[in-house]
Amino acid sequence: MKKILIIEDDLLISSLVQFRLKKDGYETHLVKDGNEGIKAIDTLNPDLIITDVMMPFRSGIEIIHHAKKSQPHTPIIVLSSLGEEEQVVLEAFNLGVADFVPKPFNPNELAIRVKRALS
Amino acid sequence: MYSFLFYLILEVVGWMFLILSFLVISVNMVMMILSSLEMRDYLRKNQFADYGDIITSPIAPGVSILAPAFNEGQTIVQNVKSLLSLHYGKFEVIVINDGSKDDTLEKLITSFELEKSDFAYHPDIDTQAVRGVYKSPNRSYRRLIVIDKENGGKADALNTGINVANMELLACIDVDCILSSDSISRMVRPFMEETNKKVIAVGGVIGIANNCDVQDGTVTTYRVPDTTLGRFQVIEYFRAFLMGRMAWARVNGLMLISGAFGFFRTDIVRKVGGYFPKTVGEDMELIVRMRRFMCEEKIPYKVGYVPDPLCWTEVPENKDVLARQRNRWMRGTIETLQLHRKIKLNPKYGIIGTVTYPFWSLFEKNAPILEITGLIYTSILIFVGDFSAVYFIALLIMMYLLSLLVSSFSVLYEQIAFNHYKDKKDLRKLIWMILTEPLWMHPMVVWWGLKGHWDFIKGKGGWGSMIRKGFKTAEDKRNLSTQSTS
Amino acid sequence: MKKTLLSILLGFCISIGKLSAQDILPKDSSEWINFLQIQNQIPGLGYQLVFPPSLDSLEVQTLKLDLTKSDSGWVSGIREDFSLLAQVESDRVNFKLLYFIFSSQNSEEAVREYISNLMRNGDFDPVTQKVKPKEDLVALAVKSPYAPVFGNRYTFTADLKLFVVTLIIGFFFITALLMIISMLILKARKNRREILKKEYEEMIVDPLTNLLFEKELEELSKMKKADYDPFFPLNYLSKPLYQDVLIHSIIGLNKKMKGEFKEKLKAIYHQLGLDKVSAAKIRKSKWHIVSEGLVEINEMDLVECLQDVKKLSDSSNFHVRSLAVSALLNLSEKSDLSFLRDQTYPLSDWQQMNYLRIIKFVSAQKQLKIEMLFDSKNKSIRIFGIKLVRILGRVDLLERLASIASQASTEEKIEILKAYQEIGAHMEVDFINQCLQEEDLELVEQAIETAKSLGDENSVILLSELFQNTDDFSTQLLILKSIYELDKGKFDEMTLNKEDSSRLKIRNHVLDPKLVYV
Repeated sequence: MKKILIIEDDLLISSLVQFRLKKDGYETHLVKDGNEGIKAIDTLNPDLIITDVMMPFRSGIEIIHHAKKSQPHTPIIVLSSLGEEEQVVLEAFNLGVADFVPKPFNPNELAIRVKRALS
Repeated sequence: MYSFLFYLILEVVGWMFLILSFLVISVNMVMMILSSLEMRDYLRKNQFADYGDIITSPIAPGVSILAPAFNEGQTIVQNVKSLLSLHYGKFEVIVINDGSKDDTLEKLITSFELEKSDFAYHPDIDTQAVRGVYKSPNRSYRRLIVIDKENGGKADALNTGINVANMELLACIDVDCILSSDSISRMVRPFMEETNKKVIAVGGVIGIANNCDVQDGTVTTYRVPDTTLGRFQVIEYFRAFLMGRMAWARVNGLMLISGAFGFFRTDIVRKVGGYFPKTVGEDMELIVRMRRFMCEEKIPYKVGYVPDPLCWTEVPENKDVLARQRNRWMRGTIETLQLHRKIKLNPKYGIIGTVTYPFWSLFEKNAPILEITGLIYTSILIFVGDFSAVYFIALLIMMYLLSLLVSSFSVLYEQIAFNHYKDKKDLRKLIWMILTEPLWMHPMVVWWGLKGHWDFIKGKGGWGSMIRKGFKTAEDKRNLSTQSTS
Repeated sequence: MKKTLLSILLGFCISIGKLSAQDILPKDSSEWINFLQIQNQIPGLGYQLVFPPSLDSLEVQTLKLDLTKSDSGWVSGIREDFSLLAQVESDRVNFKLLYFIFSSQNSEEAVREYISNLMRNGDFDPVTQKVKPKEDLVALAVKSPYAPVFGNRYTFTADLKLFVVTLIIGFFFITALLMIISMLILKARKNRREILKKEYEEMIVDPLTNLLFEKELEELSKMKKADYDPFFPLNYLSKPLYQDVLIHSIIGLNKKMKGEFKEKLKAIYHQLGLDKVSAAKIRKSKWHIVSEGLVEINEMDLVECLQDVKKLSDSSNFHVRSLAVSALLNLSEKSDLSFLRDQTYPLSDWQQMNYLRIIKFVSAQKQLKIEMLFDSKNKSIRIFGIKLVRILGRVDLLERLASIASQASTEEKIEILKAYQEIGAHMEVDFINQCLQEEDLELVEQAIETAKSLGDENSVILLSELFQNTDDFSTQLLILKSIYELDKGKFDEMTLNKEDSSRLKIRNHVLDPKLVYV
């Protein structure tokens, strides 16, 4: 079973995503902020990371940096309410994230993108 | 019967102090009420505000951030980086190197790939000579302008920045401040909201960053400073920013916007001739002069205030540094009031002339003097064995209680509105501070204030004769600088 | 206050009187003698008693004063002890006094002078007290009527002071107490609310997720309120806080969701009767509740409230007004902007920003009649209309703009110029050139800016004329920038080969590629 780490501070959004991905048979782990996120990346060794770029304590950029350093082959999907032309998002792309899903989003669509990133 | 006159004086002075303490108490009560009304409205307003819009909207005004730097080589690169990463669409960062003796400029040049440009600097406001204006050909640093100039002090550096600024609004900040990433969008809102008044300036809250955890320009964990001096200032800042300025904002009577974090409308600042470099209280003086200008031109205006915590700074925890700061603040207040004494009790100047000015001169400028005389008076009463000494001791106790009330009100206020200090231990430390501060910190502050008065009389700093003469109109400053250039 | 003033005056007179030594010495001769008697001795002062010669020797004997007979009568030796006088007086004999100051005889006048001198210098302190009254003090006191002389003024004001102080303390304590108690209550209530809110939020997550994924849209919109009971218990649903949390969660989710999920959320909102809650909110009197309701109506597209919202679009409260207009823009079918045209309040930038966002979103689906706004009586609305042409890039409205341009106010002209510049309205160059000749500096500056991209040969001529006539450095810079874009030869001619250093400075500035973004 593939492990997916979800870093997202909005409780409802994260549980929706989790619910949807569980249906597809993934093992999902939920953390609420950047600090926990970084810890989880190291201990959990996930197969895929879904993260926001703006959240408490650590910026998404920091998390992507960290993930790329410790597990360079884990794909990362950025889920964000910022537009694609925003500076931070561009920076995230430069760091080599697999995909970008802007909010508002459709969980079903996200599930498809997850599948694609993992294959 | 020989001492009749003596007793008579005692009697009259006694009444004076009685009236004064009554005033102090009622003013504080009124301020508490006003500030809570304002805070309530602000919090309600914020419930349905969407700040995300401002960042990208073409309607939002452009902002020039002015950051004077003097010997900041240690931290300048990090600070400028965080300024450049603020969340806002249309802004530029103007760093003014005020003749630093260290490698501030060199560090900026190497880190941001700067090159000297052929910028045609033309001083609208008279300043020290500009040695060069630097820009980067790299597109990612397109927002950054660095000005290198001869040393002339903070006000002079800001004036240079004002001359160069291209945007509608100016944000004057201390370069070592920590700004939260949404600080511009929040501070810009009051400028955009008003329909039939011109918003000339907006002030913000300064938080104390000592001993706190900071990440990405936001304080993530709040902790009370370790030293008592630091803790005292936490209480003081709560009182000033959450109570005092909130209350003044309610009645549009704000006379001071902190120099570390203030937003201004560029055209008005230029019209009044920018900062006045000859005073140590340049931040307060500018606001008073701008308000005066609007009154004299008879344009309806407003000075706004945003109570959200958006800017943090390290406060001095060293007694000597703090003493110097307070001394300077006092001199700045005296000088500003002197310069603008024409507005005193003048109904033409609206609330600022009739309410704010007298308030400042009584409760800010003359407070240390009044307190000392009150104390001397009480000791004389005790010495001659006058029965009314009892009342004055009662009055002193009452003042102590008032201070407790106001401080605890401010702390509770912070707890309700923002609730930053989550640890119960921190709250206990603050309460202990509230109880003890009036007994030993307050006298010290009074003493520093008195020293400020003394230094003002001796003519330390400042610009003696001009300040004594005062400005006849708000535009005097402008004429002054053009005269000295021609 | 009057009393205090009066006593100041009175007290002042009295004290001045008392301070003069001359007046301490009695004028009346018998009192003068009395005064001397009490003093016993005065340094340097001596006296002789002179009795009339008619005194017989027997009487002289009884006086025991060692009198000697002289021409003027019986004379005593020079004495210094004035207490003797008491004895002489009690014998009721007429006598006169001769005074000696340091053994030389002097008049009474000179003696008075002498004594006051002594007093002034502090060499002599006169005894002012009367000799002890012979009668009992208590008996005397009883006889004299009660007349508060000087202490009473103090007791009186002291009492008033006491009163004022108690009043202040009382006032102070009561307000302080009330304030702190209400603060503590508020804080406690808020804390309780926070905890409860968290609890509810967690309660809502699972059922909401389940509903969104397990049920189809049709199922959801057929479910009755009672059918939702297993998900959102009805007894909770009646609690205002629970309602609040639910509304917030659904709206928050709605903002971040796309496609069928949005529809599902709306169905749930309706079926749970939350739309009624929102509709009720906008009929409340408190502005912040009305505002909340408006936001909800806007987010959840509650079209049925349109009529009520319309009424609020001209509210005197800024927030209500702008939120109502936002909701109207979003919800109204016909994309009719007449309600905006008829607004009487000036539009702030804040409102313009919010409306713009919605108009941008709506105009993707339907062509809005922006030109309607040009006919508004409200200047700020007309300006907003022109701005919309620019921001939405409505090329089709350029002709309309041109038709209103000549009669427009200065601010509108500036906006029109901006619109021309952004859209690239080359055919309107005459209007731009016309604006270059206007008086208003701001308008002229905008015209210079617009001419930079849209100008023709005429503009270059006008610009160089303008350049000659202005001393303002920033205007000069602006003009030369525009001329550089329009006619490089003219630019060189104007900036090169000139003695004027400032023109060279400007030239370098314009040519520096780093300064393009400044």
